[in-house]
Amino acid sequence: MAEPVIETKALRRTFGNFTAVDDLNLVVERRQFYGFLGPNGAGKSTTIKMLTGLLRSSSGSIRILGRDLETDRVEVKRRIGVVPEGLALFERLTGAQLLNFCGRMYGLDRTIAAQRTTELLEFMDLADSSEKLVADYSHGMKKKMALAAAVIHGPEILFLDEPFEGVDVIASTTLKRLLQRFISRGGTVFLTSHVLEVVERLCSHIGIIQNGRLVAAGSLDELRAGVRIAGHDHSPLTLEEIFLQVVGGARQSEEVLSWL
Amino acid sequence: MNGETQRLLLLLKVRGQIFVNSLRRPNRRVELVVQGVGAISAGVFVLVLAAGVFAGTLTALRNSQPWVLGLLLWAIFLVWQFATLLIEGYSPGINFREIARYPVSFGGYYLLNCVYGLADPAAAAGALWLLCMWIAVLVQTPQWAPAAAGALIVFVVFNIFCNRLLAGLLERFQSTRQGRERLAVVLLLIMLAPQLIQFAGLNWRHSPGALPGRSALLRFAALNDLSPPGATLQAIVGSGNTRLFAVLLLLGFLTIAGLMLRIQSRTVYLGELRGDEQRARRDLRVSPGWKVPALDETISAMFEKEFRYLRQNTRLLVQIVYPMIIFALFFSGRSPIHRIFPSARGSSAGLLGMMAGFLVLSIANICYNNFGLDRDGFGRWMLAPVKMQKVLLAKNIAHAAPFLAMYTLICGLLLAVARVSPLQAATVTVSFLTVILVQVGAGNLFSVYWPKPIDLTRMGSRTVSAAAGYAALLVIAPVGIIGGLIAMAAIYLSLPWLPLVAATVIFCVVFRLYFVALDRAALYIDHHLEEIEQVLSK
Repeated sequence: MAEPVIETKALRRTFGNFTAVDDLNLVVERRQFYGFLGPNGAGKSTTIKMLTGLLRSSSGSIRILGRDLETDRVEVKRRIGVVPEGLALFERLTGAQLLNFCGRMYGLDRTIAAQRTTELLEFMDLADSSEKLVADYSHGMKKKMALAAAVIHGPEILFLDEPFEGVDVIASTTLKRLLQRFISRGGTVFLTSHVLEVVERLCSHIGIIQNGRLVAAGSLDELRAGVRIAGHDHSPLTLEEIFLQVVGGARQSEEVLSWL
Repeated sequence: MNGETQRLLLLLKVRGQIFVNSLRRPNRRVELVVQGVGAISAGVFVLVLAAGVFAGTLTALRNSQPWVLGLLLWAIFLVWQFATLLIEGYSPGINFREIARYPVSFGGYYLLNCVYGLADPAAAAGALWLLCMWIAVLVQTPQWAPAAAGALIVFVVFNIFCNRLLAGLLERFQSTRQGRERLAVVLLLIMLAPQLIQFAGLNWRHSPGALPGRSALLRFAALNDLSPPGATLQAIVGSGNTRLFAVLLLLGFLTIAGLMLRIQSRTVYLGELRGDEQRARRDLRVSPGWKVPALDETISAMFEKEFRYLRQNTRLLVQIVYPMIIFALFFSGRSPIHRIFPSARGSSAGLLGMMAGFLVLSIANICYNNFGLDRDGFGRWMLAPVKMQKVLLAKNIAHAAPFLAMYTLICGLLLAVARVSPLQAATVTVSFLTVILVQVGAGNLFSVYWPKPIDLTRMGSRTVSAAAGYAALLVIAPVGIIGGLIAMAAIYLSLPWLPLVAATVIFCVVFRLYFVALDRAALYIDHHLEEIEQVLSK
C-alpha cells in the first residue's frame, strides 16, 4: 500500500457541547480522487477546514504528505491548494491581480506568477474579465477564480469544498477538466460535494460522513459490495442509492404540502 | 378598501418593519438608545423650526419684508430634497424598483411612488413648515391666504415629484457596486464640507469682500423669481400680471417634474436593468507584481495588495487626504488656528507637531481594523504558507506608508521654507514615529480582538468597531500624558534636548513592544480563527 498523503487519527472537533467531527480516521492515497460526502451538517466542511489548517482540531492528529499539520503547518500549506467553503477571495482586487498575488504568496517569482496567471485566466475563460474586480464576478466566475488561486503554485493535493455548487454547466466542465488533468499529473483531490452524479463520475474513492463519524469509505465498487438493498434488481447501485441507504433517506408524508 | 390603498398601507407597514428589524441585531442596545434620542431630538428640532417658520413669516409680513418668505421657501425646498439623500443613504429603506415586480398597474405604481414620497421624514417636516407658513399668512394678511393655499399646495406636490425623482436616481446609483461606492463618497464629502468651509471661512468673516462667488450669489438672487421657490413667493405676494406669470411658471415646473417622474417611473416599471459595465475584450497581458525596495517578495506582494485596496477605497482616501487639506489651510494662514493660538503663525515647529498629531490620529481609521476590508478574504491569509506576524507586519507597513510620506512632505516643506530648527524637527519626527508604532501595534490587537467588516457601499458602515474606538482612548491618553510631562520637564528644566532623548528612548522600548504585540495578535488569531472569520464574513 502506498504512503497515504492524507491521514487522520481519532480526529475530533467540538463546539461547546456539540461534536461536529468524532473519531474520524481517514486515509487518502496519492492520485486518488476522493469524494467526501454527507448530509447537511454532517461535518464535511469542519473536516476540510481542519485538514487545511483553517480550524484547529479538539483532539486527534492530522498528517498531510507525511508531515504533522500541527507542527509543520507552513510547509504543509505550501504544498496544498484549497478552495474553501466561502472561497476566501480578496474581492477588491481584479482577477489578474488576485491570481498574481496568490502565486507570490506561495513563493513564486514575480515573472512566473504573472505568466501562470495569464495561462490560468485563459484556461478558465476569465481573460475577458481579468481587469474586473472579483467583487463584480458572478458566482461561477468566483468559483473558477478560487480554483485557479488554489492551483497556481502547483500543489500536490487539492482540497475543494463544494466546488460545483451554484456553477453552470460550462463552468463546471472547465473545473472538471482542470481536476482530471491535475490527477493525471500525479495530484490528489479531496472534495466535498452534494452533486452525487459528479462525484460518481469523477471520484475513484468515496467517504461518507454522518453525524461527524465516517460511516462508509472505499472505492465505488467496494461501497456497492458493502450495501444491500432489499428488493433491488441486479443492476449496479447508483451512488445516490448507496448514499441514501447509508445515511437513511427522508420519507415525506403525502399530507405535507398537499396544496402544492 | 381598494387594491391600491391596501398595497400602499402594506408598503408603509413594510417600511416600518424594515426599520424595526434593523434595530434587532445583538449588542446594539447602545445604538438603539442613541437612535431613540436622535429621533426625539430630530422631532423637537422640526417642531422648533416650525415655530420659527411661523414667527419668521409673521414678522416678515408685519414688517413688509416678503422676500424673507422666499428664503424660507428655498430652505424648505433644499431640506426636502437633500435631507432625503442623506437619510436614504443611511437608512435601510425600500428599493422602490422592487415594487415594480409585483402585479401593480403603471398608474398604481406611479401613485404609490408619489404617495410614498410623503412618508419620508423630510417631506413630513417640509409639509409641516409650509403649513405653518400658510397659517402665518392667514393670520397676518388673510387676503393672501387663498392664493397662498393654492401656491403652497402646488409647491408641496412639486417637492414630492422632485423628491421621488431624486430617490429614483439614488436607487439607480445603488443598483451597481460602483454607484453605491461613489454615492458613499459624495455623502462623506457633503458631511466634511461644512468642516472645511468652517476652517477656511473664518478669515472670510473678517474680510467679507474676499468671499468667493459673492457676485455670483447676487446675480443668482436676481433670477430668483424664475425658480420654483421664487415663483411660489410671487404667486403668494405678487399682484396682477406678476402673479399670473408666477402661477403659470409654477404650474410649468410642476408639469415638467411630473412628466420627468413619469418617464423615470415608466422606465423602471418596464424593467430597466443596470449592471456594472463590461469591458471590451483585448489581449491578456498580466504584468508582474510590485517589488518594493528593502522588502522581500512575499511582503512586497502583500504590500501591493494592501496598497491597491487603499487606492480603491475612495472613502478612506478622502480621510487620508483630509490632513493634507487641513495642512494646506494652516500653511496658507487661512485657518482659525492663528486666532486660537496666535503663536502658531510664528512657530512652524508647532504646526509640524500639530500635523504629526493629526496624522497619528488619522491612521487609526485604517490600522484599528486591519482585516475589515478583507472580509471573506481573511481566510486567504490562513491558507497561505505565511506566518500571521508577517501578514500583520506587511499590513502595518502598507498602512503607515502614506502617512509617513505625508509627514515627510510636510516636514520637508517646513524645513525648507519655514523656521524649524533641526532639533525641533528631529524631536517631532522621532515622536511621530514612536506614536505611529504605538498606533499600528495597538491596532493589530484591536483588529483581532474586535474585527469589523467594512462595507464601502454603506455610508453608515463604521471603519472600526465601537469597542476599538473606546480602547483607543487607553492608548492615546497615556501617550498624550507622557508627551506633555516630557515637554513640561524640558521647559521647567530648560533642557531643549530632553524631548529628543526621551522620544528616542521611548521609541526603542515601543519598537520591542511592537513585536510582542505582533506575536500576541498572531497567537490570538490562531486560537480564535473561526470566530474572527465568522465576524468578518457577515
